[in-house]
Amino acid sequence: MSKPYYVEIVEKVFEKTKDMRTDEFKWLGKIIQRWDAVDKVTGKPLFTLDLVNRIRDAVFLYTVRTKYAHARIKKIDVSDAARYPGVIRVITAKDIPGVNDVGYVIPDQPLIADKKVRYIGDTVAVIVAENYHAAVEAADLVSVEYEPLRPILDPLEIVEWGGLREKEHELIHEERGSDVVSRYKIRRGDIKKAEQEAAVIVENEYRTPFQEHAYLEPEAAIAWVEADGSVSIIASTQCPFDVRKAVSQVLGLPFNKVRVRVPLLGGGFGGKEDVANDIASKAALAAVLTGRPAIIFHTREESIIGHSKRHPMIARYRHMARRDGTLLGVEAEIILDTGAYASLGPFVGWRAIVHSTGPYKVPNAKVDLAVVYTNHVYAGAFRGFGSPQVTFAFERQMDLLAEELGIDPVDLRLKNILRNGDRTVHGQLLDHGVGLEEAIKKVVEASNWYEKRKLYGKPQGNIVRGIGISAFYHGNSIGAEGADFSTATIIINRDGTITYRTGLTDFGQGAQQGIMNIIAEVLGVPPSYIHLEPPDTSATPDAGPTVASRSTVMGGNAALVAAYRLRERLNKLAAELLGCSEDEIVIDAPDVYCRSDKSLHMTWQELVEQAFWKGVPLQEFGYFRAPPAEWDEETGQGAPYMHYTFGAVVTEVVVDLETGVVRVERAYTAYDIGRVINRVGAELHAEGGFIQGMGYALMEDIYHSKEGYVYNKTLSTYHVPLMLDTPEEIKSFFVEAGFKRGPFGAKGLGEPSITGIAASIANAVAHALSAGKLINAIPLTPDRVYMVIKKKGLNPF
Amino acid sequence: MAEYKPIPVTLIVNGKEYKLEVPPYERLIDTLRYRLGFTSVKEGCGRGECGTCIVLVNGRPRHSCLTLTATVDGAEITTVEGLAPKGKLHAVQKAMLDTHGVQCGFCTPGILLMMKALLDRNPDPSDEEIKEWLSSNICRCGSYLRYLKAVKLAAKYIKEGKIYFDEEEARKTLIANIPR
Ligand code: FES
Ligand code: FES
Repeated sequence: MSKPYYVEIVEKVFEKTKDMRTDEFKWLGKIIQRWDAVDKVTGKPLFTLDLVNRIRDAVFLYTVRTKYAHARIKKIDVSDAARYPGVIRVITAKDIPGVNDVGYVIPDQPLIADKKVRYIGDTVAVIVAENYHAAVEAADLVSVEYEPLRPILDPLEIVEWGGLREKEHELIHEERGSDVVSRYKIRRGDIKKAEQEAAVIVENEYRTPFQEHAYLEPEAAIAWVEADGSVSIIASTQCPFDVRKAVSQVLGLPFNKVRVRVPLLGGGFGGKEDVANDIASKAALAAVLTGRPAIIFHTREESIIGHSKRHPMIARYRHMARRDGTLLGVEAEIILDTGAYASLGPFVGWRAIVHSTGPYKVPNAKVDLAVVYTNHVYAGAFRGFGSPQVTFAFERQMDLLAEELGIDPVDLRLKNILRNGDRTVHGQLLDHGVGLEEAIKKVVEASNWYEKRKLYGKPQGNIVRGIGISAFYHGNSIGAEGADFSTATIIINRDGTITYRTGLTDFGQGAQQGIMNIIAEVLGVPPSYIHLEPPDTSATPDAGPTVASRSTVMGGNAALVAAYRLRERLNKLAAELLGCSEDEIVIDAPDVYCRSDKSLHMTWQELVEQAFWKGVPLQEFGYFRAPPAEWDEETGQGAPYMHYTFGAVVTEVVVDLETGVVRVERAYTAYDIGRVINRVGAELHAEGGFIQGMGYALMEDIYHSKEGYVYNKTLSTYHVPLMLDTPEEIKSFFVEAGFKRGPFGAKGLGEPSITGIAASIANAVAHALSAGKLINAIPLTPDRVYMVIKKKGLNPF
Repeated sequence: MAEYKPIPVTLIVNGKEYKLEVPPYERLIDTLRYRLGFTSVKEGCGRGECGTCIVLVNGRPRHSCLTLTATVDGAEITTVEGLAPKGKLHAVQKAMLDTHGVQCGFCTPGILLMMKALLDRNPDPSDEEIKEWLSSNICRCGSYLRYLKAVKLAAKYIKEGKIYFDEEEARKTLIANIPR
């Protein structure tokens, strides 16, 4: 089978540039001010709710949520609420013209509940009023008769260890016939044999918490009906095409009658996926039912109970090794709690199992994973997508193994890591582009690891320091999770400026700047020539969801393909006009000239103008589809992702023995991202990802009461890192082991930047306290750490 | 909602006087955003916990989500729109660009105003002081280390007498010269 043209272009560009140093490029890897920075520091109206002032005659929505986390609905009476002054109407499930479902992967999540509620954030009605206050006040007047059911909050009530069989229980999703959403497995080699051959076996149980995205911009959506009956929506969403699908389904409209636009996002981190389907559908419904523009926004409390979280994990791991440290096998059972709805749970579970044994050569493996429902807040996508959970577990295991064998943790890792030419636990051959060893060496050297590892771990008065490492990998793009393609449109306008359109959103981390750098590099124009159009489902082709760190690789490849084809045409035309060969043409806008004779010169504007008169098309559509992933459901063998980003993190912590408070003093991160495309963005990812990962390691969790209520729904009770918590220094290094099917060799960094953080911090705390198996759960809050200090007899009192 | 008699209030926002009549329960954030159109003022929590809504009231930082408009009658209020004359950037804005502190930008307005208030009070703050002050603002994108550098850089600019910078110039400077 011949290669598709787009793969050929990407590989050709890689081949041509793979030996170049990044500093030899004009725009790639340079310190470039992002396109929207000035607008942001001057406070321009860039976010969804900033546009409210431009909407006339709007109605406001407020969501009425359930009183119980698990109950059957007997009756809903909205008549009192509907009579409240200012209320226009109260929407319940029976007002939905299309399908009452906003489930992301499987149809298990009603937009408005009418039979059963399954967690404390479920919607039972939506108030539509002349103003926001009236809508909120009327919410209390909706009366619902419930038959409360016992909430199930422990995933171990759903499945049991020793095979993860489903237990006898009253089903949360009786319509599905099971509360296990999905199961995955890996079977490689012969685990029994590995066990017999092993000189040491270490085993432990691990727990990780919920994590709330806490993006600073709460969700919002505005919807109105156009004159032709189509519906327009502006929403803070990561995935405009998924919102379009959800709204179409709820309203019973075809896709081309629903238009979704996305202004800038005040953070996303994976959280603005399904919740956007929910609020956009509500707004669209209200707009259709009232004929007026409809505005919905979440307060912080609604945001915290209304959108998905990172899946908590419970896992049991057994690692087997030879005396010299060679890994022989990994056996594990992993349970992910997806809460009341599947959301992206099935995909998260799959990514988790793919990464469950880490970036190591594992000849024998037996891993089982189940994603189960409970009556918790539902869990879905969050930066890392199942990886940080398993990375915490397998990296703690590696440290336990090192301890057991008396080998330094770095040396143990270096003995087992994947290198070029090795096969992953899925049997995937990695023939190039594996930069893990270099990443580990960078952080080890920068942190002065060996010396500090000896020095730390000994109490000095009331404090003790520790140093820890983690190594990890992260599959690029969505792999076998779904159709993996991306698109971009580039138009060179007659005045020489460039319009760039994509369906991928920018959560705020600046991924789009990376793509603009690629376009600039290929075309030979400064990035300032390029105007980025906001995603618009009616004007941009479907580029798939903005998830899975796919912007730079997938979006970048689509843009690269489009820019490359434009450049070919421009080179041809310039060669004709200037009288030299095509590969002699240098474009360094505003200058265009022949390499050997700079006097053969014209301007970029002249070239564009000539193209216009000569009929050379100056618009191009770029498409890229990732090579199809392979995955055998029975054995977990195949090639799950096209490639992997690798990384290593060293963290230094200081533990207060009186209080159990852990502080991170310094951190060193190294990521193999193939090629640094967007230097500022990469550095900010490394820093911001570290800080978010530090929150996950040390302070963040969602606490439910036994009735299923959420205790911490505010930012003063749900703690995220502040400036005072931030380490003195986060040093970031980048390794550039190019991947031939990434743009200029690049790989993604969005998610990898959080994947190994908690593991590295936990390993440092374990080192500080010589705590071994006792550090087996995060967050390492003071109370949890203090219990360990006490058990170890390290407390000063 | 019960009807209340509107209260007459005068606000001087970014140097311009506004005479308004507002309901007694109206929050300053809503007056600024929805009545007057200063949408740089952001609402991240509505409870005084995130700092995105911070504005300067008579030069002091204040959560506009916890302030009733009627209680600040006659006050001078500064939002990001008023940090510098039209077409100019204030030193804190320039420093924010130069240190690449901007990510999603939702926390940025509140952070810039805190920086300005801090430097007005102490032109040469210590690291500890900066951390303490800016810990009233959450930045979930995690640009904290950049903010530390930005405050110091802005302090330096101001000390050198460079308080305002040209906005157009800053837009054109794509490769910023950053002290790293
Ligand atoms: S909105 Fe005022 S502090 Fe968060
Ligand atoms: S830049 Fe996004 S919250 Fe600070």
